[in-house]
Amino acid sequence: MANNKLVEIKNLTKRFEKLSVLENISIDVPKGENLVVFGRSGQGKSVLLKCIIGLMATDAGKILIKGSDLAMLSIKELNCLRKDIGFLFQGAALYDSMTVRENLEFPIKKHFPEMEQKAIDEKVINTLELVSLEEAIDKMPSELSGGMKKRIGLARSIITDPELMLYDEPTTGLDPITSKEISELIINLQKKLNMTSVVVTHDLICAKIIADRAIFLHDAKIAYQGSLTELTNSTDLFLRNFFSNELVKE
Amino acid sequence: MKIPKIRYGRRLSYTDYLYNFFATITGLTVFNFEFVKQVFRTPLEIGQIKKHMDELGVKTFGIVSITGLIIGLVLTMQSQPIMQRFGATDFLPAMVSISVVRELGPVITALIFAGRVSSGIGAELGSMRVTEQIDAMEVSAINPFKYLVVTRVIATTMILPILTVYVIMIALIGCYFAIILVESMSAKYFIDAVVSAVQFGDFIPGVGKTFVFGYIVGLVGCYKGFTAEGGTEGVGRASTTAVVLASLLILIFDMVLVKISLWLWPTIS
Repeated sequence: MANNKLVEIKNLTKRFEKLSVLENISIDVPKGENLVVFGRSGQGKSVLLKCIIGLMATDAGKILIKGSDLAMLSIKELNCLRKDIGFLFQGAALYDSMTVRENLEFPIKKHFPEMEQKAIDEKVINTLELVSLEEAIDKMPSELSGGMKKRIGLARSIITDPELMLYDEPTTGLDPITSKEISELIINLQKKLNMTSVVVTHDLICAKIIADRAIFLHDAKIAYQGSLTELTNSTDLFLRNFFSNELVKE
Repeated sequence: MKIPKIRYGRRLSYTDYLYNFFATITGLTVFNFEFVKQVFRTPLEIGQIKKHMDELGVKTFGIVSITGLIIGLVLTMQSQPIMQRFGATDFLPAMVSISVVRELGPVITALIFAGRVSSGIGAELGSMRVTEQIDAMEVSAINPFKYLVVTRVIATTMILPILTVYVIMIALIGCYFAIILVESMSAKYFIDAVVSAVQFGDFIPGVGKTFVFGYIVGLVGCYKGFTAEGGTEGVGRASTTAVVLASLLILIFDMVLVKISLWLWPTIS
């Protein structure tokens, strides 16, 4: 039987000294699904993403991406796998010393050294068109607004056509209108490029637009998983409290 | 690469300071081995190395020019009355040139370079670390150590000897100006005196050790920046501690290298 799961997390545990951030977490993400991860600050949501991409080593458990166990891969194999994964950082993490064009060219030139400059230029322009920021091509990151930085960060993440996208709080620090635009952009790109996404967020508006399924992390464990509607309508006092605050913001 | 974490805080105990001392030595050693491991891995980022050499050279060109001129002027002005007392003013070019070539030129250039470049690298990489730009490189399957550290360390190692030779030349020009301010001396006589005084055994160890100093400046700056943590405060800390550590290591290695050079070229002792 063909394995439809792009990401399989089995009994993942991550500790920082004595503090347990993730304890025995198991999650499966099938191909094409948009999974939203909720949780209060400091509950290990970003750590989960960093473990999935191999930026942080796990203390116990397994993470399998496309069937490959991250812990068993060499650096070369891990890098090969990372070409199929995009990561949008909370602060976009654009390279300060490079223009938008150079930021986007950088991963292509490294991954496809044989690609001609003309083809690279075309790819950069096409990707910028997807995020509607063609005019920013020769700007420095310092000249961009928060929302523009996120869009360019997103463009840089998808330029290598990844199968899996990881988003670390894609709408944090943005006004509600820009947040909605970014969320719509994420879902449109996901449909256009047929990607699978794991989105860490606090933003209920963003989650409503994106989520096929949601999980809620609390006290280093998955407190809930299921559809977003079930989650927001939960009778659990803690979840009600969390989402009532989010709904007030909404 | 596992680098021990430095303990930060407002109230550190003596044990913490002792731990930090050994953690820094261990961290630098691990970082050094990682550099040696990565430097032989192809492809080498030649374009980045050239870019850094160009930037670092231009960045420090002005300040080392002024420093070189002042070294030559001050050393000559300080020595002139004493040499005059012994009736040995003719030996002034030889004395100043040997001092500048053997010790003052390389060490002062290295210290100025450390102040300007080590802090700059520490701040730049520190800022990249705290804004997750280094992580972004890693998740894009690009080796950040090779791209950011190896290129910078090679650039500092190559550029410092060039700057040192330049500073020595400027210092000798300063020396000549200081001499002709108080007495007449032809440029030809000055050049002849310098050329006959400075031996191979003076020049090679003097300039040769700047390769080590350049390596220290690059490695310490990169180590501090690459391992920075704690937001903007961490960036500032990386920048300042990089200068202090690089300067200290330059002086310690100078002492060791002088001893080695005296052993290799006993004629200069």
